[in-house]
Amino acid sequence: MPNNFDRELTLKDLLLGIDSHRLLTDLQGLLDAPVAILDSQGICLVGEPLASESTASLALVVELESIGKITADAPVPRLQAATDLVTLLLRINARYLMASDLHMQTQQADFDELQRRHIALEKSEQRYKALAETLEQRVKQQVKTIESAQIKLYESEKLASVGRLAAGVAHEINNPIGFIRSNLSTASSYLESLNKIDALVESGASAAELRTVWHAEDMAFLQKDLRDILDESINGTDRIAAIVRDLKGFSRINEEVDENADINQIIRQVCNVAAAEIRGKAEVLLDLGEIPLLHCHPGELGQVFLSLLMNGVDAMSSVGKIQFRTRLKEDRIHIDVRDNGCGMPESVLTHIYDPFFTTKEVGKGMGLGLTVCLNIIKAHDGGMEIKSKPNQGTLVSIILPVKAVPSC
Amino acid sequence: MALYDEENNKLSIKLVYYGPAQSGKTTNLMRLHDILRTDLKGEIMLMETANDRTLFFDLLPLGFKAPSGLLIKFKLYTVPGQVVHDSTRKAVLSRADGVVFVADSQRTQSVNNGESFANLEDNAARVGIDFDRLPLVVQFNKRDLANILSEDEVMERWRAAPWPITFSSALEGQGVVETFNALLPQVYDRLDGEFGFQQTHGLSRDDFVRQSTGQTAVDGIA
Ligand SMILES: Nc1nc2c(ncn2[C@@H]2O[C@H](COP(=O)(O)OP(=O)(O)OP(=O)(O)O)[C@@H](O)[C@H]2O)c(=O)[nH]1
Ligand SMILES: [Mg+2]
Repeated sequence: MPNNFDRELTLKDLLLGIDSHRLLTDLQGLLDAPVAILDSQGICLVGEPLASESTASLALVVELESIGKITADAPVPRLQAATDLVTLLLRINARYLMASDLHMQTQQADFDELQRRHIALEKSEQRYKALAETLEQRVKQQVKTIESAQIKLYESEKLASVGRLAAGVAHEINNPIGFIRSNLSTASSYLESLNKIDALVESGASAAELRTVWHAEDMAFLQKDLRDILDESINGTDRIAAIVRDLKGFSRINEEVDENADINQIIRQVCNVAAAEIRGKAEVLLDLGEIPLLHCHPGELGQVFLSLLMNGVDAMSSVGKIQFRTRLKEDRIHIDVRDNGCGMPESVLTHIYDPFFTTKEVGKGMGLGLTVCLNIIKAHDGGMEIKSKPNQGTLVSIILPVKAVPSC
Repeated sequence: MALYDEENNKLSIKLVYYGPAQSGKTTNLMRLHDILRTDLKGEIMLMETANDRTLFFDLLPLGFKAPSGLLIKFKLYTVPGQVVHDSTRKAVLSRADGVVFVADSQRTQSVNNGESFANLEDNAARVGIDFDRLPLVVQFNKRDLANILSEDEVMERWRAAPWPITFSSALEGQGVVETFNALLPQVYDRLDGEFGFQQTHGLSRDDFVRQSTGQTAVDGIA
């Protein structure tokens, strides 16, 4: 702790920094006699105590009261002059001491204040840190919530599109199953004719008798028809098998693995699977160029193409055209989906990427929303652009970069 | 707080002249030094820069002996009024036994007066002075100038204040002793209990005031 600048200064304090040997020699030179300076307790601070009877002494007063005295074997007027001189010296020293002590005091106080503020600042910094941490946690939680909401949105849209697809696929499969079923009952009715002939053969009937029955049962027709209905049934099961195969592309939507896939093949499968939905509403034209395999998530891309196809179908007021066109340009696969349906006005175009935005009636808008489509394309490092004119149609352009395919 | 030095039988009382820059604190001290006839009057120590602005403080020592032989020593300080010297103001104000607040009467200075007074309250609290019990006089200085607040206006503004208000023209020495006189009885009352002025030292309130300024009974008011 620095000294209080306004403390009472003693003679000893005031002689601080004054060369006492030099002071003594100078005083003795002036007075031409031995000199001593004593404090108020009589302790000698400068020179040697003087014993002589004739010694004169004068008080030293810096402020109001005596703080010591000068003694010398000298005439009083000269001693008075010397005392004045010393007092002058002490006053100047007092001034300096007080100013420097005050300076130290304020420095210390300012420093203490600074430290106090520093500590306060550190405390508030810690509070802010803690606050920032909880905020960060909350943000993380919110992000998680939003992500899971997005996944749910995606899942629900996917489910909706699967539902719509299932209806079409059921129809597509029911048709062949219908005629295979009727073919098989026809075939089993033909068994009765065969059984009659079989009975005659067992009873050892003559060739003439056999021929009569053969003709009566119209076996020539039966043989040919059986061939036809079996061929037709085989065809039917092949069709069912093909549909099931195409469906497989969609059954793997939830698999996270990427693989090398043929975009053109995915488009063909999508068109096949959706055939029932398209029939009678639009004609699909495929203009599929030569493109390399793409390392991608085929199930997700299939969902995108299916959604775009469905959007096209939904845009038709009379039978229209939907075209898929694929091309390779500078290591990028360009996929255009163009329809000549009703198109969209500017006011709708600005909202198409808003989640849950739809112009369709409830229950009709099936398939992924464009937001989810865009996210899937972005996840493949690609881009998607939509141009549309009312009453002319819509063009969706997708660009997917062909990445170096990891070989395995 | 006043400091009793038993060895030298001395009581040091610290009085501080506070107020905005250039209000006349240093001038008050200089005139007191000229006018007062206190038994013991030291030399005035001025610590100013070239253009008369107090840099650290000014100090005027005054004193007299009580009948008991006790030396009563006043140390009158001024603070630097300039806003930047707040740390110094705080250090000088610390342990004060009484304060004279020197306000500048000029109309243009009202805001400065107000800010400085608030600063006095703040700093008193910071250095541990109980402001409500602090002996205080508010002096409106520079009454000789034109364009000053009238006495009525001043009294109206300070109506609710408990402190004595004095008017002065320190440059001409008018009102400085009256101001000092208005502070002294408060100081006596504040310290009497602790130091037994009347009981131990045979010093009445009137004598305390009279001797502090060096008025003999016949002088009347200076
Ligand atoms: N006209 C007039 N001028 C005065 C009066 N008192 C002081 N002054 C002048 O005002 C100026 C400032 O006076 P100071 O006593 O130095 O003021 P201060 O309050 O000590 O100022 P700081 O040390 O800067 O805080 C000087 O020029 C004084 O002469 C007064 O009563 N009337
Ligand atoms: Mg000053």
